[in-house]
Amino acid sequence: MKTPKLYIGTAGWTYHDWSPSFYPQNQTSSFNWLTFYSQYFNVVEVNATFYKPFSEKAVYNWIKKVEACVDFMFVLKLHYSFTHSKRFSNCDVKAFSSMLDLLKREERLGGVLLQFPYSFECTDVNIKYLGALVNIFEGYDRFVEVRHSSWENKKARKITFCTIDQPDIGRSIQFNPLASNNMAYFRFHGRNEEAWRDSLKNFGKEMSYDEQNIRYNYLYSPGELLEFERKIREIYHQVKKIYVIMNNHPKGDAVANAFEMLSLLKDRGKIEIPQTTIQTYSRLVRIAV
Amino acid sequence: MKTIFHLDLDAFFVSVERVLDPSLNGKPVIVGGDPHGRGVVTACSYEARKYGLHSAMPIRKAYKLCPHGIYVHGSHGEYSRFSKAVKSILEQYAPMMEQASIDEFYMDFSGCAKIYGSLFIFASKIQKEIMNKVSLPCSIGIASNKTVAKIASDCMKPEGITYVIPGMEKYFLAPMPVETIPGVGKVMHKALNEKGIYLIGDITKLPEDYFGAAFGKYGIDLWHKACGEGKDYIAPPQLRKSVSKERTYGQDVTSREKIEETLFKLTGQVCQILRDKNWQTSTISIKLRYSDFTTITRAKTIKATDDDKTIFDTAVQLFRNNYKRRVSVRLIGIHLTKFSEFSEQEFLFDEEEIRRRKMLRAVTKLRDKFGYSVVQFGRTGKVNNTFVNPFHPET
Repeated sequence: MKTPKLYIGTAGWTYHDWSPSFYPQNQTSSFNWLTFYSQYFNVVEVNATFYKPFSEKAVYNWIKKVEACVDFMFVLKLHYSFTHSKRFSNCDVKAFSSMLDLLKREERLGGVLLQFPYSFECTDVNIKYLGALVNIFEGYDRFVEVRHSSWENKKARKITFCTIDQPDIGRSIQFNPLASNNMAYFRFHGRNEEAWRDSLKNFGKEMSYDEQNIRYNYLYSPGELLEFERKIREIYHQVKKIYVIMNNHPKGDAVANAFEMLSLLKDRGKIEIPQTTIQTYSRLVRIAV
Repeated sequence: MKTIFHLDLDAFFVSVERVLDPSLNGKPVIVGGDPHGRGVVTACSYEARKYGLHSAMPIRKAYKLCPHGIYVHGSHGEYSRFSKAVKSILEQYAPMMEQASIDEFYMDFSGCAKIYGSLFIFASKIQKEIMNKVSLPCSIGIASNKTVAKIASDCMKPEGITYVIPGMEKYFLAPMPVETIPGVGKVMHKALNEKGIYLIGDITKLPEDYFGAAFGKYGIDLWHKACGEGKDYIAPPQLRKSVSKERTYGQDVTSREKIEETLFKLTGQVCQILRDKNWQTSTISIKLRYSDFTTITRAKTIKATDDDKTIFDTAVQLFRNNYKRRVSVRLIGIHLTKFSEFSEQEFLFDEEEIRRRKMLRAVTKLRDKFGYSVVQFGRTGKVNNTFVNPFHPET
C-alpha cells in the first residue's frame, strides 16, 4: 500500500517552555526557533493567527526562515472573529486572505484551520454558518475542527473535518479517523481531563498563560500512540495527504509525541531528534538516529 | 497433523515498563505492589529472577531477596494497549488465533508452509516484526498441539524459537522436569516426586492405568500430555455471553443484611467488568444456595444498563422475594446476561443518574489503574448491624 504524504508537526512553535526540552538552553543571537523547528518537522500550525492577523512582511519572514526545508508547510488557524465571536468584517477577510495568498504563492500553504469551540453544535444555523465561511475561503484547503459529538458521522465535499483526540468529557466527539478530499487531518489535544474540567469551570474568567494552557499538559504514552497509529493507518488507502498535529504543547510534550508519531507512521524508521529532547524524554532513544 | 504456534511475550509487563522508561534496561525490575506491603510480585525481569524472584511471590519476600531491585506499580492500561498492538500484528498472518492471556497467543498455521516458507524462518520474521513495531521481545514454540507448543515456547526464553518436529513430542518432553507440564502445581509436583517421578519421561515409562488409578481423570490427562498429546483446536474469538460472581461463605449465614452486603460487593465487581467492556446488561439473575445445597436461580429482565444501583436494586429485590426458607445460606451469586454495546447518545437520564454514571466511569478507570479495591463503596466495608443502603440511605 502506498504511504500518503505525511505532514507531522505541532500547533505553534513559539513556546518558551520548550527550552531545554527542544530548543537549546543557550541560544546565540542568530538562533531562530522556526528554522530549528523546520529541521525536524515539515508542518506547523500557526496558532498566533487565531489571535491577530500578521502583516505580509511577517509572513514572508516565516517563509524565509524555513527556506532550507523544501516541503515545509504552514497551516493558519483562522482568526477567532470567524469561529468564536462570529463577528467579522470584510477587512478581517482581506487581512486573513492576504496571509493565505502569500503562502500559497510561495507554495508554503498547507491550508486554513477553522477551529470551532465545543459549543458549536451541529444545528441548521451552524451548518449554514459553516457553509458560508467555507465559501469565503474557497481556493484553499479547509480543515474544520468541531468538538461536539453532534457532528459525528457528518461529511462535506469541500472541506476536511479534523479527527481529534481530546479528554472524553460530556458529549465530546470521539476519535474516529475521517478522510475527505483525499486528505485527513489529526489534532491531538492531550487527555488531561481534570485540567480540562477546571478550565470549563473557569470559562470566561481572566487566566494567566499557564492557567490557560495547563489543560494541554499531557504526554501521550507509547501504547496510546500505537492505538492512534493503527487507526490512522486504516485510512491510508483513502488519502493522499495526512496531517498530524500535536497540540499538547506544555513543556515540549507535543514535540516528543510528534517525533514518536513520525517514527511510527514512517514504519518505525530511526529519525533525527535533537539531544535536548532525548535528554528530556529518555524513551525516545530507541527511535533516534 | 496441525502446526500450532504459541507466542509468549517475554516478561511482558517488565518489557512494557522498559519501553516507557529505558533506564530500566538490564536492571532487576519487579512489577507489583508496595515492596513493604502485603501484595505479590506480578512480574519480574530475568535479572530479578537470578535472585530467586518469581511471579506470585509475596513482594516482601522479594524485597528481602532483592532489595536493590526497582519496584514499579505497573501501568495496566498500557499493558492492554501493547497487547492489542501485538494482536493486530499477528492477525495479519494467522488464519486462526486464540488469545490465551494478555501476553500469550496460540495460532494455527496448518498448511501455511507453502505461503510462508520455512516455519522456523517465518517465526523469526514475526519475532523481529514485533520487536521492530512494539519493541517487545517474545518467544515462539511450534508444535503439533497447544500443550507442546506452550512448553516449547517456554524452554528457550527469552527471544527463543523452538520447533518440535512432528512425531518427536514425547522425546522432546522426556528429559524435562514434571512441573514443566502446564497444570502441574505444587501439590501434584510433590505427589509425583513422592512416587519417584521426577521427569516427564518417568511418567511415560509407566502405564496410563497407573495414573488413572492414582490421580483419576487428571492423572490420565497428565499421562497423555507427557506423551506429547494435547488439544490442537484454536478457539475463535467469542463474545462473552455472561458475567457472574459468587461467594461461598466460610460459615453458612442467616443474616439478610450480610447476604445483601455480599450481593452489593458482587454487584460492584460485575459492573466493573461490564463497564470495562463497554456493555450493558438486560437480564440480572441471582443464585442462592442454602446450607442443605438446595439451589435456586431467579432472573429479571430490565432496560439495558451498566449502573450499579439499578442492577443492585434488581438483584436485592430478587433476593428478598425469594429468600423464603428459614435455612442458612451457603452461597450467593449474581449473573448478568443479554449484553448490548453501550451507546452514550441513546441515554437521556435525569441529572442524578448522569452524575452517578460519570462517577462510576471514573471509579472504573481508577480500579483499572490501581486495582479493584482502591475504591470501595460505603456498604462493602465492615458494616455494623445497623445496615445502611448507600443508594437509599433512608431505608
